Parts: sequence; C-alpha cells; structure tokens
Amino acid sequence: MAEVSLRNVKKQFGDTAVIKGVDLDVDDGQFCVFVGPSGCGKSTLLRMIAGLEEISSGALSIDGMDMTSVAPADRGVAMVFQSYALYPHMTVAQNIGFGLRMTGHPKAEIERRTRIAADMLQLNELMKRKPSQLSGGQRQRVAIGRAIVREPKVFLFDEPLSNLDAALRVQMRIEIGKLHQDLKATMIYVTHDQVEAMTMADKIVVLNAGVIEQVGSPLELYHRPNNLFVAGFIGSPKMNFIKATAAPGASGKVAVTLPGGSVLTVGGGTTPVAAGQPVTVGVRPEHLSVSGPADATLPAKLRLAEYLGSETMFYCGLADGSDISVKADGLAKAAPGADLAIGIPAAACHVFGADGRAIINGDLTR
Amino acid sequence: MFPTPVQKAPAWVRIGYQLLLPVALVVWLLPLIGVAITSIRPAGDLAAGNYFGMPSHFAGFENYSAVFNDSPIGQFILNSFKVTIPTMIGAVGLSCLTGFALATYKFKANLWIFFIFVAGNFVPFQILMVPVRDLSVRTGLYDSVYGLILFHTAFQTGFCTLFMRNFIKALPFALIESARVEGVSEWRIFRHIVLPLMRPAIAALSVLIFTFVWNDYFWATVLVQGEHAMPVTAGLYALNGRWVAAWHLVSAGSIVAALPPVAMFFLMQKHFIAGLTLGATKG
Repeated sequence: MAEVSLRNVKKQFGDTAVIKGVDLDVDDGQFCVFVGPSGCGKSTLLRMIAGLEEISSGALSIDGMDMTSVAPADRGVAMVFQSYALYPHMTVAQNIGFGLRMTGHPKAEIERRTRIAADMLQLNELMKRKPSQLSGGQRQRVAIGRAIVREPKVFLFDEPLSNLDAALRVQMRIEIGKLHQDLKATMIYVTHDQVEAMTMADKIVVLNAGVIEQVGSPLELYHRPNNLFVAGFIGSPKMNFIKATAAPGASGKVAVTLPGGSVLTVGGGTTPVAAGQPVTVGVRPEHLSVSGPADATLPAKLRLAEYLGSETMFYCGLADGSDISVKADGLAKAAPGADLAIGIPAAACHVFGADGRAIINGDLTR
Repeated sequence: MFPTPVQKAPAWVRIGYQLLLPVALVVWLLPLIGVAITSIRPAGDLAAGNYFGMPSHFAGFENYSAVFNDSPIGQFILNSFKVTIPTMIGAVGLSCLTGFALATYKFKANLWIFFIFVAGNFVPFQILMVPVRDLSVRTGLYDSVYGLILFHTAFQTGFCTLFMRNFIKALPFALIESARVEGVSEWRIFRHIVLPLMRPAIAALSVLIFTFVWNDYFWATVLVQGEHAMPVTAGLYALNGRWVAAWHLVSAGSIVAALPPVAMFFLMQKHFIAGLTLGATKG
C-alpha cells in the first residue's frame, strides 16, 4: 500500500520529448487512470513508473522512497501488460508462481499465495493448462494473478482490456474494480477508452502530447473541463463545439451570440471578456433538446438520425455549416432533411476562450 | 491466386509438367545416382572403360568392405564427429548468448557489433587461409582436432548470431519486461524464459551447422595433415591417392561419409521444418 508521486518527470528519446514535465500525486489505495489519445505518452509514463523506461529528469517516489533510478524489481510494483505476456511454455500455476520461484520464496509460501490468487480470480480449474489453451479473458486473469501473488505496493495496468471483445471487456472491468476494493491497493491504469476511465477511476489523469491536461474525479472532468481538449475527450457522444462571439452582459454574466444571431446569457465565470471576443461554446448532446423550453434556440437541419431504443441521436447541420449532435428521448422521431429548433440550456454551456482554456464551466451539479 | 495451382492449368501444361518433372528429377539427381552406381561397380568395369553403363555385376559388398578394411575411414569418421559435435555445441551455444544480448539490450555499439558478426560472413575463406594457417601453427593448433573446432566455431558463430538474434527479436519483448518487473535476474530470464522458447531455433540451427561443418573440405585440408585428425571429407581424398583412380572405392566412401548428415536431417526433420515455419504460427 503506497502513494506514488511524480515531480517534474520528463522523458526524452534523443531530441524528441515524449513526457514534458509531469507532476502528479496518486494517493494510497487510489485507482488512478491515465487516459489520452494514442501517442500521448500515457504508456511511456506508466513504464517509467514501472522502471522499464528510464526517467530522463525529475523524481519518482513510491511509498515515500525515491525510486527514480531503482531497478524495476525493487520498486515494489507489479505490471499487467496489454499482451498479457504469459510465458507460453509454462502452465497457469507455473506462470503465477514463476516470479516467486525465481526470487527464492519457499515452496509452501508460493503455493499458498498461488492458491489465494487462483481463488480470487476463479482460476482453480485451469491451473494445469498452458496459456495457448485459454481464452482471452482467462489469459488476462492469469496475468492479473501473476501480479497479485507478488503482493506489490502498486499495481500497474497497461491497457489490459484492449485485446478483449466488448462483452468481456465490461465483465473484466467489473472484476478489476472488485479486485481494487478487495485488495485496497494503489492501482494505476492506462487506457485510451474514456468509458473505462469514467467507470473505474477515483482519479483520472488526462494526458495529451506529453503533458497533463487535467487531473480530477470522473465527474469533475465531465462537469468542469479545464480546456477544449478535456471537454472533447471526456464524455460520449462527444461534446458539441459552437463558434460564437462573447460580450460582457448584465450583472457579471457573459452574453454569447450564437450562429444565426440568437443570444445566450451565461453566468458563473470569473474571467472578464471583451466585447466581440471570439469564443467556443461547448455543450453536451445529452443537454440539448429538440423540443421543450430552452434559453436559446438554434435552427438546424437534420442529416441523420440513429434510433438506439433507449435514446435517439440526431446529427444536424447548423446555418454556418458546422455539425451538432443531440441526444434525444428514445421515442423522438424526425425525418432527415427536417428543420429542427435545437434548444440550448444556458446552465449547461461551457465557454472556452481562443486559447482553448475554459472561461465558464456549465457545471450542472452546482 | 498466383502462381496458379498446376491442377487448374490447361491440359497440355499438366501433361507437360508430369512428363518433365521426372526428367528434371533424374537430371538433378544424376551426379548422386552416378556416385551410387559407381560405388557398387567392380574395379574391372572401370579398367574396361565402363564408367557410365550398368555395372557388369553387383560389387557393393567388396567395395564397401574394402573401404572399411583397407583404409582408416573409421578413424576419419570419428574425427569428423570429434570436430562437428563440439563445433555445433560451441557455435549454437555461443550464439544463443550473443543473440540474446544483441536482441534484448540497448547499448551504443549494439548495431555495430551485430554488423561485424554479419559482415564476417562475407569475408571469403580463401583470403583467410594463409593467416589462419600461420596462426594455428604458432599457437600449436595446427594438425589437431582442436584447431579445427576452434576455427569452425569462430567462423560459424557469425551466421548463428544473425539467426538467433533475429529469432529472439521476434519473441514478444513483453515476456522479458514482465519477468524483469517480477524481479527475475537477467541470467534466469535467459535460462528459464528465452532458452525454452528458442528450442525450435536451436534444433534448426544445429542441423544446419552439423551439415556445414561435416561437409567442410577447405579447412580440413588447410589445417590438418595427419590421419589422426583428418575428417572424412578430406580423408576421401587421401583414399583416392592411395588407389589411383579407384573411383568405385571413393564413391563408396562418399556414400558412407554422407550418411550422418542425411540421418541427422531425417531425425531432426520435424524441428527443422518447425524452425522454417516458426514465424507463421506465432501467437
């Protein structure tokens, strides 16, 4: 059980900086998820914590001890790889016990720990099989079992579910969540799937191009994204971005002129705006409506409707040619080409400046 | 699909194929057939000028027993084994280590060292003949089995390293990283993870090296003079010198000398083919 902290950690491959100065604290027992698009450096950062990549500059400490240049084996971490990395010539039992056997643990102890891990992951029936005789989900469970027996301070997961099919992924997600509750260990989990991040994490770290864009709980990131990148990355379907111009409004609020001329008055920000300042209004599809009351309406033409039963997705074009999507009730119906009036609630609107930083967050939990 | 399977080709192609294939096969095997027939030809046939016709009678027993009774071919074959087996173990063993190092460790000179191993294969033996002979004379290894073992091992390790390095490079690196995180020492990673997975490569390479070294004639004649260290390939030459133009005996000797690598190939065929198709069945 341990906390992990990174201080101005950087990684260079020759002249290219992959991690450009990361400061992060993961508390003891926390489930922290690194999320970001591919190539953002999230896996590299995890491998640096594991000790598989050297830290070019900065400091890493685990459980209060400096681990910046300590060998992977001595960091007290266990890692689960995307490819499972099971030893193909060993049985499940040998795979799980291999690390302990090689580091001189007594036989009885190895057996005890292997049994506990096997019970926890329902691997008892499979102990004599080779990895090639297992399904994807079972292989992943063996890989997790191999991490558990080491009784590490920190668990590291590198996209462990991305090789599984959708149904199995949901099931394993729940199992890993349960495991975290049972073991109460610190876990760091890398994924590019924001649904995995939202459902599993205590703390999400959104990475982009080697820097942290935002750190926070799943709902914090959903309701209060710091910038356009986080706003666009977190949430599915993706947040709508509408180009608009802002002006100072009454009693400290901001008046935003939307394409088509309708004006929306948004409050809650602290940064003053200049008259005519170009801004981006962000509003999630689930907060828009095609019927009912709203603070402003946008005329739009329906391009495509997806009927999912529980909900209906409308993909529309605005007057200025940009796209907007609306998540409506499952019973809503409209034919492509129909004119819709999309209702925008001011309270759900985020306003971003030209530099991408949030001026106002439409936090509905307030 | 390219090339079109012959079963689907037009009739004249199929018939032509069926006619030409045996012809090509016979032409291809003609030298071998010649040697095999000559090895059972009585000496009188050769004296009478019957080089390529049917033997006048079957003289296999006389010829083969003459090879064993009248020449030290037993000693020659033993010498061949004494040279080939240590070379095979040495070259394959060394290249497992060099291949592992070059495939798994990142260090500055890695690629250069690898290039040197590969480049060594392109140096023709002939230009090394005089220096290597001098070296072996000065170190006292001339005319001994040890000299042959040492130089063969040195020359084969380059190719073996290329083979092993590429094989290990194709293994999933996550296996090694995973073991490192688990605290397994590098030697044990090599011994318990990489080596067991290299078995098909080791088998395939062993067959190749056995054949290469067994069939070597060049170094056997350059580095050895006496019967006590002469491998069978060079020994056959000595056989030819003793009975002038005794082609029937030389042929019989050649057949005997060719048996061990052929046997080795058939015994290890499964591993050999596994080694050749290894990349295709990964996962």
